Amino acid sequence: MQRPEGLPHPSARSLRGLDWFVFCLADVQTGFGPFVAVYLTAQKWTQIDIGLIMTVSGLVALAGQMPGGALVDAARSERFVAALAIIAISMSALAYAAWPVFGIVIAAAVLHAAASCVLGPAIAAISLGLVGHFAVSERLGRNARFASIGSGLAAAGMGAAGYLISNRAVFLVTVALCVPTLFALSRICDDEIDTERAHGGKPVPHPGEPTATFWELARNRPLVIFAACVALFHLANAAMLPLVASIVTMRSTQWATALVGACIVVPQLVVAALSPSIGRRAQQWGRRPLVLLGFAALPIRGLLFAVAANPYLLVAVQVLDGISAAVFAVMVPLVIADVTRGTGHFNLAQGVVGSGIGIGASLSMVLAGYVSDHLGGPAAFYGLAALAASGFALMLAMMPETRPDSDASPTTTPESCRPPGGPQKFL
Amino acid sequence: MGNLVQIFAAAVIALSAVAAGEISPGKSGRQLSQSTEQPAEAAPEAPAAAPREGTPATVVDNQQIEGIIGKSVRSSADEDMGRVIDILVNRTGQVRGVVIDFGGFLGVGSRKVAVDWSALHFPDSRKSNNITLDLTRDQVRVAPEYRAGVPVVILRAPEAQPTTNAMSPGSDKQ
Repeated sequence: MQRPEGLPHPSARSLRGLDWFVFCLADVQTGFGPFVAVYLTAQKWTQIDIGLIMTVSGLVALAGQMPGGALVDAARSERFVAALAIIAISMSALAYAAWPVFGIVIAAAVLHAAASCVLGPAIAAISLGLVGHFAVSERLGRNARFASIGSGLAAAGMGAAGYLISNRAVFLVTVALCVPTLFALSRICDDEIDTERAHGGKPVPHPGEPTATFWELARNRPLVIFAACVALFHLANAAMLPLVASIVTMRSTQWATALVGACIVVPQLVVAALSPSIGRRAQQWGRRPLVLLGFAALPIRGLLFAVAANPYLLVAVQVLDGISAAVFAVMVPLVIADVTRGTGHFNLAQGVVGSGIGIGASLSMVLAGYVSDHLGGPAAFYGLAALAASGFALMLAMMPETRPDSDASPTTTPESCRPPGGPQKFL
Repeated sequence: MGNLVQIFAAAVIALSAVAAGEISPGKSGRQLSQSTEQPAEAAPEAPAAAPREGTPATVVDNQQIEGIIGKSVRSSADEDMGRVIDILVNRTGQVRGVVIDFGGFLGVGSRKVAVDWSALHFPDSRKSNNITLDLTRDQVRVAPEYRAGVPVVILRAPEAQPTTNAMSPGSDKQ
């Protein structure tokens, strides 16, 4: 495929800076997951206080999605916003390590959740601002590869640090990793990030209409359908790994810890292997077939978890998790970039979809936990598979192809003549 | 520049004052504990003979007593058995067992399991920072999970009697 003329040509230094930024950031974020509960338990915290911290940070992470996206949309330098967020995260990791007392930990958890709400959209915005809509799918594929290698290595390294040194060492490593993260960010030239492009293009003024940004997006039908599908995906997906890890702990004798670790790392390896080619295929095949492929892997995975008994087989099924994760890591920002082209609200739209993901993921744990407690593990997996199948059906029936026609035949519409309103049929 | 130095010096003085203030009560506290250690050991539960000002208290050497929430648990074969996250008592306040958070990797996939108090041993904290459990990983991993709203299954070591039957003697099954 020919590249249209007038495309941005970001320097190799900026692109490599973005690679390492994404890689290091994934390292930094790995320590703040379920591991926080392990660490606070070791610090003699009660389960009630730990639960409260987890709930509060979950709520902030959910409520902060849209404000975080709007903030990135309003920012004049995405790089500056990202740097502030990383400093906030390093401060919260330091607080966890140094003063594990309630008041400070809850402040650190809120700070971390809020900063993460900004960083998610900021990475996609920097990518889009650097390379433009035409090349962004490949760039997002590359981002997903570096992020998954980063978090896979970090999970292995932090597991080793927690086992060999202390649980506190995990957070000290996290603080230390913020330094290379900021250095990588500084390698990206701010001048090459086109702010307008990073926000999804120049907004088209609608005559006689006040700029009601959120409602503008709420009327964007493909965006709403996509957000609903992605929320359903995470409703079916989020509980699968914890459930299967708990089953592996129960069924495996000697290798339980290693096998649970493998359940986490195997999908990362698959993402690292697949995501760049998914980024390329998205431009050749279009978005719809790939999103459907990623979605289809989920009900199959749920069914296999429900019937498989051997713990090694359960780890093998996690390859399907990698396929879904690779597709969604590339496609979520890409489809949002497609449907918000020419609106100036790319990042707010990421916040909208991010809220859907947050709601889906948190309900998933509640639902699957309830079903698995009362009806057993297989019933929970059948239920999650059914939810995944309904999401797949919704996607198949309602979601249009979002790849702009201009990208499929670049000779007719160069980038410089982007359709002012984006793909009109979707707006 | 001179101003900055002055401010810095003032801060250092203030900090050292705070530090000194913190240390002195700590010192006197330690002296108190050393001086009262012997009588406390001799008659741990005896109330003060003559009514005095203040709340009656027992002083115990910190090598003899410790909190166990968050402590690592290991099997007799030195397998990692997780951490103590909760303590179970019955209606009369007698300790029945503890809940351990067992297994998993980086917090993913762990299981909460209740184990009997009699299966736990508490080595001298100067020698080992762990609690020893008379059960193996294989015995604990298949145990039903401890959770609210369902009868609690408390694992105990083979051939051991349950810790106490004070509440409901018939409810303890093998």
